[in-house]
Amino acid sequence: MLKTKLKYTTFAIAVTMMGSIAAADGHSAMNYGPFPVTVKGYTGDATNSVSYSGQIARHVLHDSLKVLAGRGDGGANSSALKAEMLSYFSGSEKNKAILAPGSKDEFIIKQGTLNEISSGKNIEGKFYNGPMLAWPGSMKGREVALHMIDRASTANKGVDAENGYNWPQLISKFTMGAMAYSQAVDNYLDEKLDAGTKPNNKPYKDGKHYTGKEHVWDEGFGYFGAAAHTLSLTADQAYGIAKRKDMASADANGDGLVDLKSEMVFGPAYYAAAFDRSGSKSTNYLNNIMKAYVDGRMVITSADGAILTDGQRQEIKNYASVIESNWEQVLAEAVFKYAGSAYKDISKVQEDGADQAKAYNAYVKHWGELKGFSMALQSGRNNLGETAGTMNDLILFGPVTLDNSYVTSVTSNGDFKREKRMTWSDYQLNLLKVQKLMVDKFGIKALVNNKLGDIAALAGKLGDASSAETD
Amino acid sequence: MDNFYQIISLLADFTDPRKRIFVGYLFLSLFIAFLWLILFKKTTISIALSKVFDPKVFFSKSARADYKIFIINRIFSLFISPLLVTQIAIATAIYFLLHRQDFIQSGYFNDTKIGTVVFLFTVFMFIIDDLTKYLMHRWMHQFHFLWAIHKVHHSAETLTPLTVYRVHPLEGILYSFRGAISQGIAISLFVFLFGNLVDLYTIVGVNVLVFIFHITGSNLRHSHITISYWPWLERFLISPAQHQLHHSIAEEHYDKNYGAALAVWDWMFGSLHLSEENKKLKFGLMQHEASSTNLVDIYTRPFKDIAKIITKQFGRARKLTNWVFGN
Repeated sequence: MLKTKLKYTTFAIAVTMMGSIAAADGHSAMNYGPFPVTVKGYTGDATNSVSYSGQIARHVLHDSLKVLAGRGDGGANSSALKAEMLSYFSGSEKNKAILAPGSKDEFIIKQGTLNEISSGKNIEGKFYNGPMLAWPGSMKGREVALHMIDRASTANKGVDAENGYNWPQLISKFTMGAMAYSQAVDNYLDEKLDAGTKPNNKPYKDGKHYTGKEHVWDEGFGYFGAAAHTLSLTADQAYGIAKRKDMASADANGDGLVDLKSEMVFGPAYYAAAFDRSGSKSTNYLNNIMKAYVDGRMVITSADGAILTDGQRQEIKNYASVIESNWEQVLAEAVFKYAGSAYKDISKVQEDGADQAKAYNAYVKHWGELKGFSMALQSGRNNLGETAGTMNDLILFGPVTLDNSYVTSVTSNGDFKREKRMTWSDYQLNLLKVQKLMVDKFGIKALVNNKLGDIAALAGKLGDASSAETD
Repeated sequence: MDNFYQIISLLADFTDPRKRIFVGYLFLSLFIAFLWLILFKKTTISIALSKVFDPKVFFSKSARADYKIFIINRIFSLFISPLLVTQIAIATAIYFLLHRQDFIQSGYFNDTKIGTVVFLFTVFMFIIDDLTKYLMHRWMHQFHFLWAIHKVHHSAETLTPLTVYRVHPLEGILYSFRGAISQGIAISLFVFLFGNLVDLYTIVGVNVLVFIFHITGSNLRHSHITISYWPWLERFLISPAQHQLHHSIAEEHYDKNYGAALAVWDWMFGSLHLSEENKKLKFGLMQHEASSTNLVDIYTRPFKDIAKIITKQFGRARKLTNWVFGN
């Protein structure tokens, strides 16, 4: 009798384990949480050890800051606006309204203030602060962000047409790298995975219901900004959630509300999805990154509150490496895409009869995205070295503007100087070279707005030029 | 199994409509030859059959050498092709260079109707390809060191469609370079001026004009079927008979009819020769110039001849130096 019982129990355990292995393989969807509490000696009520609300709060701060960056009226409201922007960027004490993302039609967002997600968070404390040579003035990352905030506060609707800067785009795209990407790949998924840091056999902090390594990994995940149920979503669905169009896909728990803490898709994950669904449609960035996060978390959970073995740490470092390389490619894809957009915009700006102001505005916007993403790319763990130098030289400190001048330096009071000129054609050539550089150095594949793609496509159509036929 | 696929890949050109010896084109060439013999030469069907499938031509020593060269060159090209500069590299370089020019801007004509752009590109591609073939071919005859290479092709004493592959590998490299340059120029120029509107009118994946060239008997130029056109037409299109005349050993036919599809280049540059009715042509080269059958000689002679040319030039340079500086 006992034997039979044991057999059944063994069988049941085996089936359960196979189920979880299948989930870990990605054959069936696996959410990022809940994961059990494994802290030894924990006596509290918590049953789910997953926690990354601080990171979600920072995504919301970032989205809200972008909204504010476009609210300048050309100077009159500059000091008040700057103070408000800084309260989102640097302040952490007072509760603030969520300016974005907000509810839209049937897409109802659960939270309305920051403290409903997490209190006491800011962006600045988690902002890349290494040298940022892509920006004039030899500043560090945080100084650049503060400089941008200062300029945005005096601009008209966030745009400095004379110098060619679109502040909401520049601030937003730079922050997506300098905060989210940098924190994830250069902090949580880097040195914090070392043996001596935040060990798995102790709570992250005394009394917490998650271990050191569990929380380090969760925070790393939080910066990616993906919904917890991403593995059950297509790239289109994830994209639809970020655009606040697909309530059915967002509302995983069916409560009629979108919980920003677990159901929303923020910037970095949005761009991963966006490239998977466009261009060559041959990439799988969102899934690769998400699966690595889930699988890594499962390795940590499986340690059951014990210190991670060297093998387990190596395993999660391998997952971290997948996350980093895919995320880096997503940023390079973005640089590629917006270099192509800016190229096309320049052709439109030069067209006779075109609405030049409108075309120039689009150009400045796309250039802001290009520049912001190029700076994001330089905020990671890898020192891009010569690649960064080449990219910065090609993109320049500012776009070529309507009188063909471009920003070359910044004065001590933060004003820009445009002391050199370049023809539109030469600048278009620079943008083509940026695209080529992204392909050569990062091996990207989606290639949205591929300006050299027409050449390759035609060459393919003409067929092999090498032929041993003669007359 | 691997060997099987390798053998199949050697014969891939027969199934590729981009190649002249695609079976469909060969079949049509045969059909045209029959029609020509029966309708214009008034032969019987049996005579036409024996004429078209003349074993003295297809199994001649020269033709058998052609077949071997075809296989050997395919093997060579497996190794050489990956090393050659591609049309994409050239097109990209020219495309970049065009951006450096101040007098023209990219996408200048991108509001042109798409049909017009595709028509222009299809025609331009055909013309530039044909012109560069003409020029290259002319140089292959006129420069000694190039002739040393090209005479492999002219050593054929009987012409079959496979003679198109009787080429020294060095010439294959030069022709690939020509192809890459002509495609590179056309692609870069059109993409620069017309943006993403550029496309090609194709049939079975081939430029429609090249397709027309092939289905109208391009293979007959390397054959013993002497099809000539009306004299006026032979000033615009090279007839099979005109190309056969190009292969003639007779001195009066030297350096004539370099054209591939179009005769206008020969007409413009003074190398045109209309076909000659009922004139029996002898193909090939003098024995001392090249062997038509000895494969070792076919593959090595060009190197020896080039070495001789270089040595001779050095000798002249030395004599000149001695004369100038006195020695």
